[in-house]
Amino acid sequence: MNNTSNIYKNKKPAIFFLLPAFLFLILYLYYPFIQNIFNSFMKIKGLATPAKGFNDPVYKNYTRLFTDPNMRIALKNTLIMIIVTIVGQVGIAIIIALLVDNIKRGAKFFRIVYFFPIVISATALGLLFNLIFLYDKGMINQLLEFLGMTNLTDWKDEAHAIMTMMIPVTWQYVGFYFIILLTGLNNISDELYESASIDGATRFQRVRFISIPLLHNVICTCCVLAVTGALKVFDLPWMMFPNGMPYGKTWLTGTYMYYYAFVASDADYSSTIAIVIVVLGIILSKVVNVIFKEKDY
Amino acid sequence: MKKKVVAVLLVGAMAGTMLAGCGGDSKAADAGDDTKKEDTADTSDDSDEGSAEGKVTLNVTTTFAGTESNVDKYQETIENWQKETGNKINDSSASADEAMKARVITDFETGAEPDVMFYFNGNDSNPFVEADKVVSIDEIREKYPDYASNMNDDLIPASPVDGVKYAVPFYGYWEGMYVNKKVCEDAGVEIPGPDTTWEQFMETCQKIKDAGYTPIAASLIKEPHYWFEYSIFNHDTPATHVAVPEKVDDKVGKAWAEGIADIKDVYEKGFFTENTNTCEADEAFQGFLQDKAAFYVDGSWKMGGIRDNAENIDNFTVTFVPGQNERKTTDIISGLSSGWYISKKAWDDPEKQKAAVDLVEYFINTETVSDFAGTATTSLKDGAQIDESKLNSLEKDALTMLKSVTATSGACQDLCTEDQRAPIFTNMPQIVEGQMEINDAIQQVIDAMEE
Repeated sequence: MNNTSNIYKNKKPAIFFLLPAFLFLILYLYYPFIQNIFNSFMKIKGLATPAKGFNDPVYKNYTRLFTDPNMRIALKNTLIMIIVTIVGQVGIAIIIALLVDNIKRGAKFFRIVYFFPIVISATALGLLFNLIFLYDKGMINQLLEFLGMTNLTDWKDEAHAIMTMMIPVTWQYVGFYFIILLTGLNNISDELYESASIDGATRFQRVRFISIPLLHNVICTCCVLAVTGALKVFDLPWMMFPNGMPYGKTWLTGTYMYYYAFVASDADYSSTIAIVIVVLGIILSKVVNVIFKEKDY
Repeated sequence: MKKKVVAVLLVGAMAGTMLAGCGGDSKAADAGDDTKKEDTADTSDDSDEGSAEGKVTLNVTTTFAGTESNVDKYQETIENWQKETGNKINDSSASADEAMKARVITDFETGAEPDVMFYFNGNDSNPFVEADKVVSIDEIREKYPDYASNMNDDLIPASPVDGVKYAVPFYGYWEGMYVNKKVCEDAGVEIPGPDTTWEQFMETCQKIKDAGYTPIAASLIKEPHYWFEYSIFNHDTPATHVAVPEKVDDKVGKAWAEGIADIKDVYEKGFFTENTNTCEADEAFQGFLQDKAAFYVDGSWKMGGIRDNAENIDNFTVTFVPGQNERKTTDIISGLSSGWYISKKAWDDPEKQKAAVDLVEYFINTETVSDFAGTATTSLKDGAQIDESKLNSLEKDALTMLKSVTATSGACQDLCTEDQRAPIFTNMPQIVEGQMEINDAIQQVIDAMEE
């Protein structure tokens, strides 16, 4: 009895196990992040080029953030992306997960089908959707032509660009949240559903009063992942809309940071944008946690 | 007690694995080496006997990709070299667009540079020349005296940074206007020639547009380069073209502003591809090949792209970009803007050094250069040998055009690095739409160059 209690009281083994991962994080996450904060005050042209002293004034990049119209566009688009991500990705994933959880045959098949987009690289998806939305002989325009439309639609023009960018991003990650939510649903005891059935609950009532409340914490986790994911989404939008095209209207915080790091060779401003992304990520995660407050059942 | 021992052993193993990983990384980084260092280390025992003759892996980056003229020849050549030497090539070639240039510069900055590279020798090369990351031809010749001995040294361009020659030219380029004959015929217009003026060209474009075709295939968002170059050329001369403005209102600045204003004018007249501000470069090019657009301005490297993708090569020809002001229509943009580099990293690696030199020499021998060059200029001492009987109609038209050239000039954009010209190139759609002032964009380029 005494031995058992000692095992739980003695935390040293746990610390030993945690130490390697902790060192790894310090070396490859916290150190670069702190260095990044320093970089945002320095004058650095290209990546890995030596800094040419401090900016004048040192907070130059931070004042620039407030006067940079593209940064405003990037923040606005990222907020739209967050909303679309929560409603589109998590929302659709909840519906699909509930539907799949309620079928007896073919659940495995649908799991694979909905999860499949996750395993395709964003570059391939970008090319795929570029062809789907292509102006001349793209899949959608051909379909519209077939249905009698005479004018081609430029899906990448100012009026359609944001929507064209959001659709593939939403589509790609629905499967990710679908799997998380489905696992959450599988963890709900069948006894609860059986008891509800005996009490005369309809299928909808079982979902409304058992599944969704018990999924609350999983949904909360999905929303936090969705928000932080939307803040740094980069690959697919960059493949389809590089350099904020058209007319700088599709910048996201992730693509804008990349542009300054790799295209415009302004590493210090890029570092500043990276800090904005991290700060926003922390704040918005907290906000989501407050809104969805985790519950104990 | 047993549990504690197991726990300690597990922690030790995890920590050891992690630190071993870190150690490997930092070592490679410190040495400025990429993972290939390990490859060569693995094969060091074997390669002691064969040195460069076997089992060396070289990282190679070139612009032989996409619809470039000589992609097939390039791939065949590296295939043959690998077979003959037993060495391996990790090829990361890509189309010569702004993204590729950004990638190459970043690779050099982060210590992941290629061993051998075919890349631009103008200001695009400044960052890695300044960082002393490539070897000069003279340094290579100290150890390999016959290196590039078939080249005319006077024609090898020097680096803008220090006047030292680093890149061995392969073959040159010219820029011209490709023409879809069928579209011109259907629209009832004559193909522009050496005497066509800019005003006449605009009238021709209007007629083509009225006939329901796109006059000029171009992607201003992805490839504004060619129109940028010729539009500015139309406001200066072959003697003054290769210059960058120091002020927006100096002579060069005015030429740039007037040239970009011409692009805006052409855009406003609706002569470019309908979705020029959002389309991929290949999308515009396809429109030209598929008889939807009449003209397409590009370099000599596009000859192969047309040859390989057009249904009927005889449907295409090439002519001069119409001129105005002091620039004659027959004055063209041309030069030896790219060359073969060997990185310092490969040079300092005893196993890679010989293989890298061998690979470059494999490409720059007179026969291969002549084969790749086609109608383009070379820096060969004896000149390239062209067998006209093997040329297609487009190549013959190119040769005819080149015989009428009155003057040549390099590209002024080569004086800027990729990030310095980004304010104009990235913002070209905003400029032609009037969302950004031309002078503001030029001022941003000047500011970037002053930094």
